Amino acid sequence: MATEDSPAPYSEPSTVERWNDRVTELGLGKVLVYGGIGTFLVWTLFPVYWLVTATLKTRDTLLSFPPHWLPYEMEVGNFAQLFAQRPEFTQFIVNSITVTILTTIIATFVGACAAYGFVTFDYPYNLDFHLPFYILSTRFMPPIATIIPLFVIFRDFGLVNTLEGLVLVYVMFNIPFAVWMMKGFFEEVPNSLVESAMLDGHTHMGAFVKIVLPLVKPGLLASAIFTVIITWNELLFAIILAQNSKAMTVPVGLASFITKFSVQWVNMSVAATIALAPVLVFAFIARDQLVQGFSMGAVEK
Amino acid sequence: MATDSSDALTSGGGADAVVSEDDGLAARVLLWADDRLRWLLTLPAVLILFALTFYPLLRAIEMSMHNYVPSGREFVGASNFVNLASNEAFLNSLTVTGKFIGLAVGIEFLLGFGIALLLNKKIKLRGLWQTLILVPMILSPTVVGLIWRLMYAPNGLLDYIFAPLAGGNVGWISEPNVALYSVILTDVWQWTPLVVLVMFAGLQSVPDHLREAAIMDGASRRQRFVDITLPYLKSLIVLILIIRLVDALRVFAKVYILTRGGPGSATNVVSMEMYRTAFRFSNFGEAAAMALSLLVIVILLAMTFVKTAGVEF
Repeated sequence: MATEDSPAPYSEPSTVERWNDRVTELGLGKVLVYGGIGTFLVWTLFPVYWLVTATLKTRDTLLSFPPHWLPYEMEVGNFAQLFAQRPEFTQFIVNSITVTILTTIIATFVGACAAYGFVTFDYPYNLDFHLPFYILSTRFMPPIATIIPLFVIFRDFGLVNTLEGLVLVYVMFNIPFAVWMMKGFFEEVPNSLVESAMLDGHTHMGAFVKIVLPLVKPGLLASAIFTVIITWNELLFAIILAQNSKAMTVPVGLASFITKFSVQWVNMSVAATIALAPVLVFAFIARDQLVQGFSMGAVEK
Repeated sequence: MATDSSDALTSGGGADAVVSEDDGLAARVLLWADDRLRWLLTLPAVLILFALTFYPLLRAIEMSMHNYVPSGREFVGASNFVNLASNEAFLNSLTVTGKFIGLAVGIEFLLGFGIALLLNKKIKLRGLWQTLILVPMILSPTVVGLIWRLMYAPNGLLDYIFAPLAGGNVGWISEPNVALYSVILTDVWQWTPLVVLVMFAGLQSVPDHLREAAIMDGASRRQRFVDITLPYLKSLIVLILIIRLVDALRVFAKVYILTRGGPGSATNVVSMEMYRTAFRFSNFGEAAAMALSLLVIVILLAMTFVKTAGVEF
């Protein structure tokens, strides 16, 4: 192309571009588009299919040569077998559910309150700008950098191997997201609503709880779902802070199927499938907010 | 909220007229709370984050100046930091992490942007595509690691496909020359969809009038892409690269599940090395020094990146 020195905005199309246009004219473009996206979709979903169907295979057919594309044995008993052979897995699930629920309620509530504060009030020293920035910047710290001193601190306070300790860490981990997400929602609520509620005799707190919070339900739901997923999935903090089965969560349990010497393939597949099922359900409820969350707001609604 | 809020609203008080002194205790508590509402609302979050991020960082500084021995610990000043410069395992883990980040984020971005461009054409069932490719990124990195452990297993599915080409089992995670690429592939699998969805949303936000004006000027498709789409998406591109960079830097679960840093030290990323130093060898002082160095590196990287790209947030 000779665009560099030509003053005209754009010169004649190049050979490549003319070919491009021919491809489009012939309808080949469509083939390429669908082919490309289709291939990507298969690449994205097949590994998940492979794991889920492995739960219905036997140890021998799971890694056979050639592979069994369909799980024709349908070994449904694999699920019962997991809990028979690894009874502590039930405990892991209970632990994970407890930690996830507590974390989600606390982080969403604390985060929403803080977001409302920053959006509504003026603070001295420009803190309504600096504090949210500080809160958000903690999201970018590598967790391994905080977990090493945190482990020592938690050991001093007797919080290692407790669910409370895990909840505390996960609340810290999830607050930045909740604050950031809820800020956007509170900014949409008109001030006049709160003002008129206060003229009607509500305290400001009353107006916040009874009028503002119900209005931002979609935001609360989105940040709750995001927190559920992050917490349910987390391994690093859990593996360091929960070292006995009283406090172990599902991801730590999953990691335990792989030892130095062997992998319990069938049990591992079953447990991993159990671990991914709830997340899938939640994800589809709040698809757009999830993308927003994972990209820290790069995608605006 | 709107910026023209009244004084009563922004200063916290405001219900004074309604609740008087002779109301009950509950009302007075509410009034007291209302006067301090801005602090009551924000302090819990700030305190939790301070206690669990800022305070640990101070402790890390203090820890990094000690050596941990079975009988307790001894003050060693800055020697932990000095030793890092000649700690081969640590330096190697930085190299491995650098390779991992460069390749993983690079491939994720190029592949993701490409797919986003395809999605941006007029296609059917776009909502369904978007939902389905969401699956990998919501999975736990632990589960992702297990899924790929299954795919990479000796005589497993990938060996079945590639053994004829490679003349035998590839040794996806047991061959030192291959293992890191297998871990990278796993990360690419999980996070390319995020790039797709973010870049797709960006492409959708390019104003039609810009594109139409360029078409009027006779710009070809390629010229429109280079002169209009790319500049328009610049800050989004920088943002997604930073997000992926920061996340790739903290990769742990996948490595832990797939290779535990091995074979040898082929996939020993920096978080794995810190984990081992602290929790396998109980060398908390050195691990804290590593953590602080890593933090400095992250901050410097992010700052340079933002400066070079000239993006303002």
